[in-house]
Amino acid sequence: MSNEDVFEKLAECVVENDEDTGADLIGRAIADGVNPVEIIEKGLSAGMLEVGNRFEDGEIFLPQVMMAAALMTKLVAKVQEHIPAGEKAASNGKIVLGTVEGDVHDIGKNIVKVLLQANGYEVFDLGRDAPLTSFIEKAKEVDADVVASSALMTGTMAFQADIENMLKEAGIRDRVKTMVGGAPCTEHWREKIGADVYASNASDAVQKVREALTN
Amino acid sequence: MSVGMHGIRTAGDLVLRMQISKKMRLNEAKEYVAKKLGTDVYTLSDEYAMKEIREELGIGTINAVPGQPKGLKAKAKIAELLDIKIPCVDLMR
Amino acid sequence: MSKIHTRMGDGRRVEMTREEIKAEIEDGNNNAATKGKVPSLTDDELDHLVDIFTTPERFVSVNPEDLVVMSTDVAPDTIFMNYSEYGGVGVPTDTVTAQMIAERVCGSDCVQNAFRGGNLKGTSVSIMQVRQDIEALAMNTIAPIIYTTMPNMGAYFKPDGPFDNCGDLMAAGKIKEGQETYEAIVPSIVKDAMYISEMVTSIGADCINLDTAAAAGDAEFQAVLEATEKITKELGLPVLINMSNHFVMGMHGEVEYNGKRLAGMMPHDQAKVVEESGASVYGPVVNTNTKKSVAWNVAKAAAVMKECGKQSNLPIHPNLGMGVCGAPMAEIPPIDAVSRAAKALVEVGRVDGF
Repeated sequence: MSNEDVFEKLAECVVENDEDTGADLIGRAIADGVNPVEIIEKGLSAGMLEVGNRFEDGEIFLPQVMMAAALMTKLVAKVQEHIPAGEKAASNGKIVLGTVEGDVHDIGKNIVKVLLQANGYEVFDLGRDAPLTSFIEKAKEVDADVVASSALMTGTMAFQADIENMLKEAGIRDRVKTMVGGAPCTEHWREKIGADVYASNASDAVQKVREALTN
Repeated sequence: MSVGMHGIRTAGDLVLRMQISKKMRLNEAKEYVAKKLGTDVYTLSDEYAMKEIREELGIGTINAVPGQPKGLKAKAKIAELLDIKIPCVDLMR
Repeated sequence: MSKIHTRMGDGRRVEMTREEIKAEIEDGNNNAATKGKVPSLTDDELDHLVDIFTTPERFVSVNPEDLVVMSTDVAPDTIFMNYSEYGGVGVPTDTVTAQMIAERVCGSDCVQNAFRGGNLKGTSVSIMQVRQDIEALAMNTIAPIIYTTMPNMGAYFKPDGPFDNCGDLMAAGKIKEGQETYEAIVPSIVKDAMYISEMVTSIGADCINLDTAAAAGDAEFQAVLEATEKITKELGLPVLINMSNHFVMGMHGEVEYNGKRLAGMMPHDQAKVVEESGASVYGPVVNTNTKKSVAWNVAKAAAVMKECGKQSNLPIHPNLGMGVCGAPMAEIPPIDAVSRAAKALVEVGRVDGF
């Protein structure tokens, strides 16, 4: 079996929630000398992205996403046992995430959180109706890589622009990437307020964060 | 705005009533209302013709013509004309 | 080749050639077939959509005999509301006056009011004021009175309500507890919907509109369907069901109505369960993709609505407005885009109203 076949089958295991086959494949791949980091990135993470895409298309449902995320965590831990201590990354990045103040819509935000966590990001969830200052304080406290805000109403969306300004005032805007999302947000809105990333759905958020942090 | 019948300017309120109270699809509702009003489907969207029809039947017009039925009084006539129940008319009775 | 002014789904103006617009329409139609699981539009219908989007007029309409009715979405309240997310323009007036302006000045087909914010849960404690408004409207207006409210399951979560946040439970890996909590909230929504319906029907409302159904997913949709069944059977009050999203999000994943799983349900299948519940009018949604053109979005919405109309015996009133059914996601959706979407949905989607 080629490495590509292994990655593809591992991705399938995440999608199909097949823990036994996944664990077996990982064991054999490690024994065959496949790079553990590639197993995570090209196999498991690819599977998790597919899970996100299927959820966005209404083909699978939240419980399956949660189960896939749990399996992903287990399998990643199994792979990490074989990554030399010096090469291990604590996480792919630290993300402060919340629904802005005045807005109690958190369904989308919660799904984004799960997919980000499943893809190896450390997420600091501020919850819903989160005071704007909490985004800045938490970003400073954990030395965040990304500050992500969700808003479902045009009225509360304006707070995403305030977060940009508050990060500048706090002197940390250059140290973080900002991501905006929520029903009324658009690419045009991102440009207008000077955010780094606009994500239209949860799997888009994962891909865009990955791109933003590698560029 | 561009594709609407525009309520009591024409017969939009009456067609919507048939959709709500009898679950009629658009064409069925229009045909039903046209028949009850003694006119045709095309006329239902004609402000000029509908003003006269509405005045004659006493089912309320968009212009506030003194003496013309308005509000509940117009709705009582509509219930009778379309042979439907209108809750507030029933309450009044 | 000459360029035509058109728009993207976020409202921005762009220029495209006729061929580019045609390609957008074909792609939107293909997306409806693959993602929306509906039959493709015919070549004639696609050509008609191209004509609609390439005509230079700012504002387009339909033949007089094809005009439709509008059950709106609490549009009159926007006259006095001061919240931009509701499209409010902030004219200092009151509910009853605003409704009468909508009926007599704007030519609204219905009189549609709602308690501010519209949530069932919030309304249940403010119903006396609602009843006072409806009574005044019953006396003074002619068009059907529609009372609009939203199930908004999220309002039943702590700290606003008594239940744990199902999303948080799920995110914590407590899947079964999350599902059980969703199920436990359903009877509360049904009870509140019944209570509001009793209160508005006893003062003369013509029907109730359960709006943004399934915003919190499949369990919320189940609650709306069960509430509709009870309201129509026990009170005889007609119910309008308006959706919040293209497909039903599977937040629970397993709830059913009449043996049909609700999660993932597309509009043409939603139409069937809505009809089974006893509702009078069904309002499907196709969310506007802001990264695609209006032409793309409208082609998709038209294909979806056409199939909805085929699968249902009920009047179909799609939600057409900010961010849905091809209307751009913009606080002031441009009339060139909205009138094209409306014309397309009437002439190709064969809808019964909006």
